[in-house]
Amino acid sequence: MATRLQFENNCEVGVFSKLTNAYCLVAIGGSESFYSIFETELADVIPVVKTSIGGTRIIGRLCAGNKNGLLVPHTTTDQELQHLRNSLPDSVVVQRIEERLSALGNCIACNDHVALAHTDLDRETEELIADVLGVEVFRQTIAGNILVGSYCALTNRGGLVHPHTSIEDLDELSTLLQVPLVAGTVNRGSEVIAAGMTVNDWTAFCGSDTTATELSVIESVFKLREAQPSAIVDKMRKSLIDSYV
Amino acid sequence: MAPTAKRPRRKLVARPVTFSPFARSAAHIASAYMIKRQMIENKLHEFCQLTPNGECKCNDKRNIDETESDSDGESSEGVVQADFAFFDPKPDDFHGVKTLLQTFLDNKEWNLSGFVDLILEQTTVGTVAKLEDDDDDGLFSVVTALNLGRYKDHKCMKELEDYVLSVCHESNLVDQLRVLFSKKARDVGLLVSQRVVNLPAQLLPPLYDALFDEVSWAVEDEPTEQLRNSFRFKTYLIVTKIYMHKKANGKLGEKADSEEEPVIYVKAEDELFHEVSSWSFSFPLKIQHVTTSEASFSFHLFNQFTFFLKNYVSMGLVMAVEADKIPTFRKQLRSLIDDEP
Repeated sequence: MATRLQFENNCEVGVFSKLTNAYCLVAIGGSESFYSIFETELADVIPVVKTSIGGTRIIGRLCAGNKNGLLVPHTTTDQELQHLRNSLPDSVVVQRIEERLSALGNCIACNDHVALAHTDLDRETEELIADVLGVEVFRQTIAGNILVGSYCALTNRGGLVHPHTSIEDLDELSTLLQVPLVAGTVNRGSEVIAAGMTVNDWTAFCGSDTTATELSVIESVFKLREAQPSAIVDKMRKSLIDSYV
Repeated sequence: MAPTAKRPRRKLVARPVTFSPFARSAAHIASAYMIKRQMIENKLHEFCQLTPNGECKCNDKRNIDETESDSDGESSEGVVQADFAFFDPKPDDFHGVKTLLQTFLDNKEWNLSGFVDLILEQTTVGTVAKLEDDDDDGLFSVVTALNLGRYKDHKCMKELEDYVLSVCHESNLVDQLRVLFSKKARDVGLLVSQRVVNLPAQLLPPLYDALFDEVSWAVEDEPTEQLRNSFRFKTYLIVTKIYMHKKANGKLGEKADSEEEPVIYVKAEDELFHEVSSWSFSFPLKIQHVTTSEASFSFHLFNQFTFFLKNYVSMGLVMAVEADKIPTFRKQLRSLIDDEP
């Protein structure tokens, strides 16, 4: 199910949060209603971790991750890194990487099997992505934009890309990623998909300006209507925390 | 007569890669431009012709770029030609207007999107200022007047009413405010005016003329009696921002440093409104701008601005202006802008 919410009057929820199948990161400093919406949806299933990265709140755009791991930029402080390692499940490898392009969330779009990377990413970074996240990495552009992480929201079941992506590009990307793709917008016509929403295999959070049409497109391409968290939990038993002490 | 130069295309300066149209248009402005005053002054008074229907016909054919400008338009001093035009609000302007009004009610979480929709639906009264033939459709200014009574059932207006009443700490004014929002709501117009910080002042008289002319035309031209009456404003309510000197304590004239003004008006016309207002009050804002000399923004205009404001505190200001004072205001605004060097 897709939910609409705001972070401090700002509809760009994909900037202030990061949602994967194994954990959810949210920025500190927001109102309690922001957290409570996440916790209502997710608390029983995956941990919701409040954090900052490099002292900033734009965590969704700075880090990239999936159920296997989380990559954080070199600006992450040691305390933040330790906090993340403590709070996330043991199966999730948290790795800080030295990369010139430090906004990893803007440069990398990934699900649990495949990742799209910025064309100018270092070779070492590409290898790290493949190792830590356990994915196959493809250097691609989306509608001519090299910031693939910003213009694409990707899960194991589907993907939403920049509205100006051509049909040929859509077909090519869809073959690479092995998921159905749709070109669309979020937050009432915003082209920066990943900044306006955050999504995993069973739920999505979109900015409150998202129209009903956009929301129905999101729910259909990511197959959220039929999805049940219990199905995911059964498949991912090992990566989930059973109890909090 | 000297040959008229071709209108230079807008792709003069390198555009930073930013996501929002507003950031891009703000970056255009911040890359140090100065509009040649003489050129604009001559043109602006005739720039926009407002027809009785409230449409704004902008002089497309008028060649604003005169020969005084640099021959190829790409000056090393960073002088950028900008032709502004006024338009009626359109649904496409949503994101631009929303960005401008982001801090309208300080950091309160409210239905800003609904409020912006109200502004955009009211095409008869309301103006947005954009660049002429701008592909990016960047919005620089929005000005409108919303009848409190007509829209009082909307969630955003109720939230606005709650906010304004909650920040008013002067008991006698709270009652007057309550009356404005309830009994007199049909005659009160909320004046919303917001623009990018460094929009040239020469645009202000035409902008406010456009608004008040549209109000008077709407009184005559709206199709139904109810709508016509909804624009017969007796009072305008204005919610705006000022900077008050830290040592001033709200009382004008009490300042330690005689060189520093006790109150700085972010928008020049607010000072004029304040002078003709029937009553007003100020309140502290929760969002304070960064006031260190090292600001993290790259706009050096903004850096200079915030450094200068070290001793000031952001305050909100709410004023009520009687509609019969508006002609005085318009005259004073015109003379203020015309006299400015």
